[in-house]
Amino acid sequence: MKGLRKIIYPFAPDQSGAAAVFYELGGMIIICDAGGCAGNICGFDEPRWFRQKSAIFSAGLRDMDAILGRDDLMIEKIRAASEKLYASFVAIIGTPVPATIATDYHAIRRMGEKRIGLPVVTVDTNGALLYDNGIEKAYLALLDRFAEDTSETDVIPGSVGVLGATPLDTDSLDAFAKIRKSLLDDGTSLVVCYGEGVSGQANSDAEDYAGLNAFRYAGRMEKNIVTAPAGLKAARLLKERFGTPYEYADPMIDEVWQGIKTQLGDDDLCGKKILIIHQQIRANAIRERIREEIGKDKTDETQIKVATWFKPIRECREAGDLHIREEDEFIALFEQDFDIVIADRTFQKAARAFDGFWVELPHFAVSGDFGEETVVAPRFYGE
Amino acid sequence: MNREPYSITIKELNDAGRDHIPPELLPSTHLIYSSPATLAFNSPGATGFGVKRAGLAIPGSVMLLVAPGCCGRNTKLLSEVRGYEDRFFFLLMDESDIVNGEHLAKVPDAVAEIVDYLEEKPSMVMICGTCVDALLGTDWERVCRKAEEKAGLPVRPCYMYALTREGRKPPMVLVRKAIYSLLEKRKRNSRTVNLLGHFSPLIDDCEIYDLLKQAGVRTINEISRCPDYDSYLAMAEANFNIVLDPEARTAADDLNERLGIPYLELTRLYQIDRIENQYRAFAGAIGAEFDDTKAREEAEKEIEAFLQEYRNASVAVGEMINANSFELALALIRYGLRVPEIYTNISAEDYVYIRRLAELSPETKVYTNLSPTMLYYDCGTEAVDLTIGKDAVYYHPDQPNVPWNSDRQPFGYAGVKKLFSEMREAMKEHV
Repeated sequence: MKGLRKIIYPFAPDQSGAAAVFYELGGMIIICDAGGCAGNICGFDEPRWFRQKSAIFSAGLRDMDAILGRDDLMIEKIRAASEKLYASFVAIIGTPVPATIATDYHAIRRMGEKRIGLPVVTVDTNGALLYDNGIEKAYLALLDRFAEDTSETDVIPGSVGVLGATPLDTDSLDAFAKIRKSLLDDGTSLVVCYGEGVSGQANSDAEDYAGLNAFRYAGRMEKNIVTAPAGLKAARLLKERFGTPYEYADPMIDEVWQGIKTQLGDDDLCGKKILIIHQQIRANAIRERIREEIGKDKTDETQIKVATWFKPIRECREAGDLHIREEDEFIALFEQDFDIVIADRTFQKAARAFDGFWVELPHFAVSGDFGEETVVAPRFYGE
Repeated sequence: MNREPYSITIKELNDAGRDHIPPELLPSTHLIYSSPATLAFNSPGATGFGVKRAGLAIPGSVMLLVAPGCCGRNTKLLSEVRGYEDRFFFLLMDESDIVNGEHLAKVPDAVAEIVDYLEEKPSMVMICGTCVDALLGTDWERVCRKAEEKAGLPVRPCYMYALTREGRKPPMVLVRKAIYSLLEKRKRNSRTVNLLGHFSPLIDDCEIYDLLKQAGVRTINEISRCPDYDSYLAMAEANFNIVLDPEARTAADDLNERLGIPYLELTRLYQIDRIENQYRAFAGAIGAEFDDTKAREEAEKEIEAFLQEYRNASVAVGEMINANSFELALALIRYGLRVPEIYTNISAEDYVYIRRLAELSPETKVYTNLSPTMLYYDCGTEAVDLTIGKDAVYYHPDQPNVPWNSDRQPFGYAGVKKLFSEMREAMKEHV
């Protein structure tokens, strides 16, 4: 049945994706909810929550606030808090409650900027869509509000902007550092990860382009790299507005591939039927590594399919790649006789028909887990 | 700009009075900070017993959560807890359902498909609705009746309506009513009693079992100790109900009205003399006599053992605990300990303890976990020897901690005894 999940738990929603982008930027992040959504974001979908503070707050909406549309009350709460906190902007993130009552975000933005005296960005997430939609909308909202006009002479030679890197997709708490190292090793002069805070930067030059400044000076990047489909719309926007070219890449692929290789051992992949499940760009990068491993001349003997529950990218897809939307579809996928599946272990239970070799590929947006070795959040249960 | 966490002393709080609680202490008046200390409050499904876990208290039941994906996301955590595997199912709303409510037409078929899918048929299906349906005004009783017809087994609603958290009947009150809603009138047994309020049993050595037996009670029911659906249904035979958590009052009222089972209420306390008084009043109310000497003496012995070693200990008290934070703080202070900080919200009912605290420890500071200013709490400002509560340990991570939020519920003298035993253990381990 459409929408019915008997085995696979819901994935990270759009509001979690949006919060992940804002997390390190030094703003006040307001989840426009009654409390549960903010708790879900902080307690489950945001692995940084337990080691790095961020000003994420619930608007604490109550039934009459929603029924009467008391947006002014929420703005007043934000204004009062802004007097006691340091914040450079306010981000208001939607949930099912404002979606149900058709909240006018444009009006909230205008009223907020006037009363609070800080820049306000809003993201009309609704909790029913997936995390990549939220990341995409958050990037666009920030670029729309902050990106400054730039001339060609401002472009920094050898600079690279990274779009799509959030813990939900990178599956690492140190992803920004790893991406930067990988790209600097390849000869890049400046790496700007959109969504990375100022504190992680190596020097003052890099600090100038971190945090909210990354979005202000987005037009100065020579090139952008899209590491997950969630970054694609922003890359297209930057290409259109500033002429910045972009390409798809997974700068963390060496580490990811090492993890896969360790599990595969000396298995010969040639001639095998392999299924990779993740977001399209990481899955594609793994597919390429497998092809390199088995050698170009034997590529035709090996069938490698990519399946994704998330945004597919048309130009990255190969014939036979799948975009899955329903649990029944996913279960049916395993009627095909795969030898190897590379995917988050959460899916294993739904792949009952599969009797081949399962290679664990954590995907935080799926399982809320980085895999066996990383304990992210304390789990409070029982005695 | 002041970058200090908001706090107020007990004296100031008492002087302000129950009708003038500062807005900083009332969650409805400000943004809510979801620090790791507060996740149990802000994400009721995430830790402890929120609506989702509580809704599965009926033996053999399963739950269908009807909601946008975001509401079911953290349920994965619950599914990892023993006894909850394969008991949660989801009917995910899409964007249009949020507005037009079309998902409701699918509920009966979804329930039937789940029942068909399960090898062992459930005793009943609990439907859990969320904020969207609160705003759509969904008639869940009607939807459940349709689902019952289709699936051929009991289907009941529970309401994870976070929007109504501070309303007259908040979600945790209604879920307590929902889990007893399948009880039907039976012949009452004068020697049977139900304990209402908790979703897991009292600690096994709680003296209340013995005291009730002294009063002639033979069967003491708790929903969490019911081994199967039939024994759950037998709770309808109780002579009277004992409410151990005020959030079960609505359920007790409902059982009184529908099944004619009266109830009385007992409060969880940590002051020994108050526990004694309460038992005396309870015995009087049911025309019995209790001998609680042994249990009281054991608790007193455990308190004394702690005090001998840590007489001047300073204890910070949180709110994620099996206690009223103010009553517990008052008890600790009356036993001779110091309580420099309490982290909790306040209701007018707490003033019965605040008044007495103001006499004994006026400088005790009260913080609210939910204040945005708690972003700036500096754990170095106050010397604390021990913390009680999962939230309190967040503020003093290097000090010994007693989480005091176990599923098994402490009560009475046995609760006091266990608390002081755990406090002594925590102090000893820390050294």
